[in-house]
Amino acid sequence: MRSMTGTRRLLKWVGNGLLVVLLVWTLVPFYWMVVTSLKKDKEIYGFEATLVPRQPTLANYVRLFATTPFVKYLRNSTIIAVGTTLFSLVFGCLGAYALARLRFPGRGLIARGLVVTYLVPPSLLFIPLFAVMSTLSLIDTHQGLILAYLGFSVPFATWLLMGYFRSVPIELEEAALVDGCTRFGSLVRVILPMSLPALAVVAFFAFTQSWNEFLYANVFVNSVEVRTITTGLTLFVVEDVFFWGPMMGASFLSALPPLILYLVFQRWVVKGLTLGGVKG
Amino acid sequence: MAIRAQQPVADRAGAVAVGATGVLPRRRSRTLHQEGRLAYVLLTPTLLVVLFLVTYPFCTAVYMSLQNKMVGSPGRYIGLANYLELFHDEVFLRTAWNSVVYTVVAVATKFVLGLTMALILDQPRRFNNFFRTLLFVPWAVPVVIVSLNWRWIFDDLSGFLNNFLITFHLTHDIISWLSDPALAMGCVIAVVVWAGTPLYSMTFLAGLQAIPKELYEAAEIDGASVVQQFFYVTVPRLRTIFLTTVMLSTIWTATNLQFVLILTKGGPANRTEIFPDLAYMTALGARRLGMGAAVSLVFVPVLVVLIVILTRRMLRPTDD
Repeated sequence: MRSMTGTRRLLKWVGNGLLVVLLVWTLVPFYWMVVTSLKKDKEIYGFEATLVPRQPTLANYVRLFATTPFVKYLRNSTIIAVGTTLFSLVFGCLGAYALARLRFPGRGLIARGLVVTYLVPPSLLFIPLFAVMSTLSLIDTHQGLILAYLGFSVPFATWLLMGYFRSVPIELEEAALVDGCTRFGSLVRVILPMSLPALAVVAFFAFTQSWNEFLYANVFVNSVEVRTITTGLTLFVVEDVFFWGPMMGASFLSALPPLILYLVFQRWVVKGLTLGGVKG
Repeated sequence: MAIRAQQPVADRAGAVAVGATGVLPRRRSRTLHQEGRLAYVLLTPTLLVVLFLVTYPFCTAVYMSLQNKMVGSPGRYIGLANYLELFHDEVFLRTAWNSVVYTVVAVATKFVLGLTMALILDQPRRFNNFFRTLLFVPWAVPVVIVSLNWRWIFDDLSGFLNNFLITFHLTHDIISWLSDPALAMGCVIAVVVWAGTPLYSMTFLAGLQAIPKELYEAAEIDGASVVQQFFYVTVPRLRTIFLTTVMLSTIWTATNLQFVLILTKGGPANRTEIFPDLAYMTALGARRLGMGAAVSLVFVPVLVVLIVILTRRMLRPTDD
């Protein structure tokens, strides 16, 4: 018995020690990003790793907003991420309802097809999609990029909501139908209000995935008017010279929306991941 | 009812039909028929998205890989010539080997680190929720930003790593982390691990917390040591989660081109070139769309195996 508590105590201290190491490993890069953005160029390009800026300055941020199209990038990212989120929610709800509640030939096949679709990575699709987008003149348009993003967000949304809708007690819906609700009415008035956590998870994933996406944004967009933040950031490199101050400032600011959403939705997201991402 | 649902006026008529319970068998088959129509109406947007944005492009990719298509010019069918050229190409063979090393090492490291993190966070401790939030932060940061940030940390002249090591006299010379052939791949993998570990910890932690505490108590009464408890209680309970997470992550790790593209562009001397980046450079750098498609499709056999297993797993609890 004594050896048992001894092991427990040892494990506890090993755990605490490792926790500190993991925290340092996780947070130092992030901290370095923020600190860099607050330094003057002279300090940034010095030979000392100063953990606290000697003369903290917001000059990098001023430069960012005054002399670069950063605000435009932010605007484009917002338009595209919000657009993708709205369409994913609507399409996902409609499709998921059909798969969860209606009986029809091909249901199993479609459900399986959705998962397969979700698992096909963009790096396999961007070359032919580039050809498609060129043919349809969707290169350099917000619509084109939103459309491309629906390719991964709609299957995920439909599949995740399908699982959730099935867990809503069918009796509730039957009652609504008997009381004269249409199928569509029962989806809107019975199922959706009970599925708010799942809708939040879907919205979170659709938004952050489109906000963070890089490959399609890089291939399907060239103009400043449509360019999103992820590809815009890489343009702070001019002929292999990095402007690290403004770039780290821009990085920090653009990481904020997904970070804040993560902090707000944290509990639901983890649940969604385990409910959706890793079932069974 | 399918179409009626969209016409508010007809609502009441639909209600009557549902309420009336006279001739059950015939009505049932009619409802089924209508349900089918409604289902396809509701599924139309989703199906269009899937067919137009995934199925069709995928088939086009296969077809393109059999052509010598360039950007802006139509291609000619050349059979398997692209693939044959690839398998005699030194850069491609190097890339194939790199991709295997990259994926296996990154996934294995994320697994070990993720499990460690989950086990630590599962220990009783004050402020554990706070620590969990902090440790999962990398998961929420866009990969482009992660890669740029690390590129700055690895910077030769003023990067954090070199400055830190020199300040503490751990090295005298500048280390070229990303351009040293011996170090570059390790550095890239470190970044992949930094960004990818939280996904593992999240799913593992959820799995750990779902294990009934009684199991451990019973094992302890039976005299099982902590190590035995881990291997005979924890591991079997988490096996499904382990497999699913590793397979999902393998797909996403092997096909994500952002890390390499931003950190090293495949250099030095192709030491960090992996499939998706080679496909990108071939299609958009060299403008050889057909060849690029061929490169990206080389991963498909592995992908198919993973997808078949995963699809079965991901639909199991709900598909009856």
